[in-house]
Amino acid sequence: MMSNNLEFTPTIGIECHVQLNTQTKLFSGASNDARFAEPNTLVNHIDFGLPGALPVFNREALNLAIKAALALKTRPQLFSTFDRKHYFYPDLPMGYQITQYDQPIIIGGKVDFKLEGKNFTVRITRAHLEADAGKSMHPAGKDYSLVDLNRAGTPLLEIVSEPDMHSAKEAKAYAQELYLLMRYAGVTAGDLYHGNMRFDVNVSVSNNRHLGVRSETKNLNSFRSVEKAVNYEIKRQIDLIKSGKIVVQETRGWDEAKQKTLLQRRKENADDYRYMPDPDLPPLVIDDKYVNAIADNMPYSPDFWRAKLKKLHLSDDHIDVLINANIDFMHAKYLELIMEFDEQGLNATRLANWLVNIDIPLTKENKTKIGSNRNRLYKEVNDLNSKGTLSSTNLKQLITVCLSMVEPPKDIAVFAEKEGLIQSSDSTELNKIIEEVIRHNPKAVSDVRSGEQKAIGYLIGQVMQLSKGQANPELSKRIIEEKLK
Amino acid sequence: MAKLSKEEVLKLAYLARLDLTEFEVEEFRTELSNILTYVEQLKNVDTDQLSPTNQVTGLTNVMRDDKLIDYGYQPKKLLENVPFVKDEQIKVKRMVG
Repeated sequence: MMSNNLEFTPTIGIECHVQLNTQTKLFSGASNDARFAEPNTLVNHIDFGLPGALPVFNREALNLAIKAALALKTRPQLFSTFDRKHYFYPDLPMGYQITQYDQPIIIGGKVDFKLEGKNFTVRITRAHLEADAGKSMHPAGKDYSLVDLNRAGTPLLEIVSEPDMHSAKEAKAYAQELYLLMRYAGVTAGDLYHGNMRFDVNVSVSNNRHLGVRSETKNLNSFRSVEKAVNYEIKRQIDLIKSGKIVVQETRGWDEAKQKTLLQRRKENADDYRYMPDPDLPPLVIDDKYVNAIADNMPYSPDFWRAKLKKLHLSDDHIDVLINANIDFMHAKYLELIMEFDEQGLNATRLANWLVNIDIPLTKENKTKIGSNRNRLYKEVNDLNSKGTLSSTNLKQLITVCLSMVEPPKDIAVFAEKEGLIQSSDSTELNKIIEEVIRHNPKAVSDVRSGEQKAIGYLIGQVMQLSKGQANPELSKRIIEEKLK
Repeated sequence: MAKLSKEEVLKLAYLARLDLTEFEVEEFRTELSNILTYVEQLKNVDTDQLSPTNQVTGLTNVMRDDKLIDYGYQPKKLLENVPFVKDEQIKVKRMVG
């Protein structure tokens, strides 16, 4: 697509609505978890916007916004206010949305990410607290819509980026990193399927030094749809300009079935919202001490973990798998497990490889039942493995079986013995294979004898290949060293 | 100040979802202009040294803990005030095509 469109530069900015991980709503004490509730059961006079109802701000929303600021590598504003944004829509009972207009809780910040080996930085313009609207349904073939106000008043943090992205891939990578930042900081539960993070992408294209007219595609709830919608808009706008037409500023929606963006409405001017300070909600005033107390208890960031894993000489791909699995399956506590191994002087790199190659794929397929006992399992497996009596196939088998149990066997060594997974060290089979490898690789053998450690790795590799993965690498190494002494 | 144009009055009416007659539009062109002229007097006050007033109460940080609150009635009760209810939801004029 891009080959004949190279003279056009796309420019992309993203607004993201992050649903805050609170128990109750932003301004009322109704439950914030509307996922499985019957319609209009998590509501009260505040959410319904009844006359005289007084909204009272939820402290936890402030604390989570502060965490978000820190995750975005900035500090929150010490003074911020709430405003009313007026518009009429059936899912907005008050006739206005409570939001933050000119003095939001976050100004500035940035998101750094890596894409195809290159570093990118997207600047954050601002982020503000606001209450979500209700949910509407449009039954097919009827002349009415139905409104459920369970979601009305749900706390959102809207994070607005600068137009710093220039391709669909960058837009997707930004969305993914923002998701990780918010998840690791505990700001949101991050359930994308239930719309916990919704992305609006602003796209324009230009073939000169001036920015083109932008379109906004709203309510994308997956990284894939962010990428696709941006690509679609880039192409649509270039085609318009090439055929002598103009791009109009408008709001569009992504149609997943048709794989295209569709016009929703022409953009209203900002003035039409008639913002005004909300007289019901006094300003938020915090100080550095308050922020520092939260900063001191911030969970580790994705970048902290990446650096940690990098030190263990893991590949970027493996690091990605672990960083994502750690929040997809939080109960498994993969990263904590690795860190614990490392701190105790155990082979954390090897553990990480077991997790990436065995545990995580099984967990993704819903084939692991083990509860909080991963810790003990991997320590015992590690002990057993260092004795050199487990072949790599049997090791995988042992871990797989143990993960499928709610409670792993009391003594894993005994269990492995019983299951016939233990290899005796005088295995004649293995000896035969090693002798054959030594015979066929005189160059490597003499290298080992002259003290070259790399060569022994090569010989072990040959043993693994010949045994079709049945041999235990530790044991093989010991036998080879013995024979070449 | 000059009278508001017909278009300006119609735009304001649209934003407030008000349906005005021809006669009312003319009426409001004058009335709204008078109101704006009156309010415009505020422009004469020197506010250079003042910060904007968001609130007159002097309150800050009115917050509650993140705990469920029992407001003493069933949420269902709220639907009794709704003109049209279907399947426990608020029935409104269709919003999309």
